[in-house]
Amino acid sequence: MTNAGFREEAADSHVEEVALSHLSLELGHLYMDDYLAGTDRLLAQFRKVRPWAEAARSVTAAACGTQRPRVSTCFLIDDYFTRFSSPAKVLPDVLAAAEEGDLTIDYIVRESACAVTDGKLLAEIVAGRLTALPPPGANGSRPPPMDVGWLCNGQRSAGGDASEAMNRPTWLPPEETEATNHSIFVDVELWSDDDGQRTWSCAFLAAVWQLLRLGMIRDAGRNVVAPAPMVAELPDEWDNLPPVVRVTDTAAAFCAYRTMSVLPARFLNVEHAVRVIVGQYSALPAVIDQIATRSGREHLELPTDLTERIDHVFFNGG
Amino acid sequence: MLVIGEVRTCLLQNTAAANLTDVAELLRLEPGERVRTSERPVAYAVSPARLTGMDCRLPTASGARVRGVGTATARTTVTGGRILQGSVFARLERGASDRRLPWSHYLAMPGVIQSTGRFNPTDVANGFLTDPLPDTTVDFGSVSEQVIRQVQANPRLDHVTPFKTRRTRLKWVASAGGLLYGEFTIADDNLRNFTISCATAPVQAVVELCEDLALHDWLLTTLLRIVERSQIGASTSEHVLARLRPAIDHLLHLWMPGARVADALRGVWDDLDRGPGFSPQWQATVARVRDQLSVATFERLSQLRPTMFEQLASGGGSVGGAR
Repeated sequence: MTNAGFREEAADSHVEEVALSHLSLELGHLYMDDYLAGTDRLLAQFRKVRPWAEAARSVTAAACGTQRPRVSTCFLIDDYFTRFSSPAKVLPDVLAAAEEGDLTIDYIVRESACAVTDGKLLAEIVAGRLTALPPPGANGSRPPPMDVGWLCNGQRSAGGDASEAMNRPTWLPPEETEATNHSIFVDVELWSDDDGQRTWSCAFLAAVWQLLRLGMIRDAGRNVVAPAPMVAELPDEWDNLPPVVRVTDTAAAFCAYRTMSVLPARFLNVEHAVRVIVGQYSALPAVIDQIATRSGREHLELPTDLTERIDHVFFNGG
Repeated sequence: MLVIGEVRTCLLQNTAAANLTDVAELLRLEPGERVRTSERPVAYAVSPARLTGMDCRLPTASGARVRGVGTATARTTVTGGRILQGSVFARLERGASDRRLPWSHYLAMPGVIQSTGRFNPTDVANGFLTDPLPDTTVDFGSVSEQVIRQVQANPRLDHVTPFKTRRTRLKWVASAGGLLYGEFTIADDNLRNFTISCATAPVQAVVELCEDLALHDWLLTTLLRIVERSQIGASTSEHVLARLRPAIDHLLHLWMPGARVADALRGVWDDLDRGPGFSPQWQATVARVRDQLSVATFERLSQLRPTMFEQLASGGGSVGGAR
């Protein structure tokens, strides 16, 4: 970022750094239906994940050269959209199935942590840092055309109003701004409000989840992730479980330069939406610089573009 | 290497000067952000930076068509709980590609607008300082108005201004290279242009210098208008004083040129004080206001105690001797 003439602002000493692994590897999401389907289903899923997890480790090791690769694994449990069973029952079941499937889970995270963690309004912070992609011609004269609660990858369709002048087209198709020849237009609902109660969408929380793992979120400059060690006596209530639990003592750092998520193919739509959102997230300049400087010190190649730090594997039958 | 910007300066719409805690809340538009504040030498707060996406033509004096894609940085400042500024700026760079890249590429370099082809920095700098700009090119003025409006709309303010003022605009261009040099010109009643060149400096320092300059230009402009409207010599001193009163109550204590300017750039302020003579004109005008205040005080006292002043005027002894 340094130029001969003007320099960007010196790294803001008030913005905390976070410890970084090379890779944050997501081994799965657990929703109520998955859990109710039984631990055999969970085991079958872990068995499908395992070869891809191994592949991810190999790729990371190759990129690290002579360095020891730091890979942490994580698993997300939904406690935001539905509350099911209890941590005291679910966590041991998940960990046992993973062990049987020859996988190690380093961190278990509650999905509601992506909305609010330890009183920090992560979802709101991320929503506040979205800079909508400008359509060609945008020069600042009008505020960005961002409908409240929605974010898209281009320009929405226009017209369709019968009162419009006769000689004007009644409908203009939506257009993806970065389309190659033809558009794949995506419009993502970020949240819904009902009686003053805001519910964040699954896609939006999944975007927060990726940004959290990439170490990109700060609350007034402060770090927002503090994994708590696993305790022998797990609580009965989800609210009493720390948002991020470190299961293995020797786990590499939770946040990482890159992420990989190995997920059933039904999550493809959600993760497409995640890329639309992450692609319009403006990280703090100090955070961008911190991570670039550190990856440079480790001689790692790291794309500046955030969406290029996120990899996915989708498998069928999950 | 080129940085361009525009600062708009106006009065915060509140009867009294807002205290620093309230100002910090006014400028915190999103959760998780931090407003930087300082108490000394004058209460000052600056909002977190916001980005505005742009994909439009860069201004050129020659009319050359250059497309720029990226983000401009916008921020607001409040000084003395009284003066509000909307400041918008961007660093212009030659992009590596001749077409627009994915948006996340531009968000990885906040506050930079990249061209999709070659451009001549001098041509763009001259183009930016032309007024009005064609409406197909960057419109920093509107972005600045948007951030000012957001602050002014806050329900913490009572939306009453204690006196009428006009908004001033400062458009600036900073280029890298050579000795430190700044040139300030008054384009019209409300528009000023500023060009600066320096060997090397953080963008932030240049922005702060331009905001400081815009602030003091607004103070001087506003004070001169108040004095002009006060009808000194053509109206009773009571009326004159009533018209000068807002300056005394709200403006005079805010003059602190260069207080927040980086050492490396302070030389520009010294030059401007010698050239357009900011501080000499300010001091002369303030002296004029204070003279009017002295005259009015003298007149008022003489109405209350005529004999005392008659004796003083005739040179007859001390004030005490009037008894």
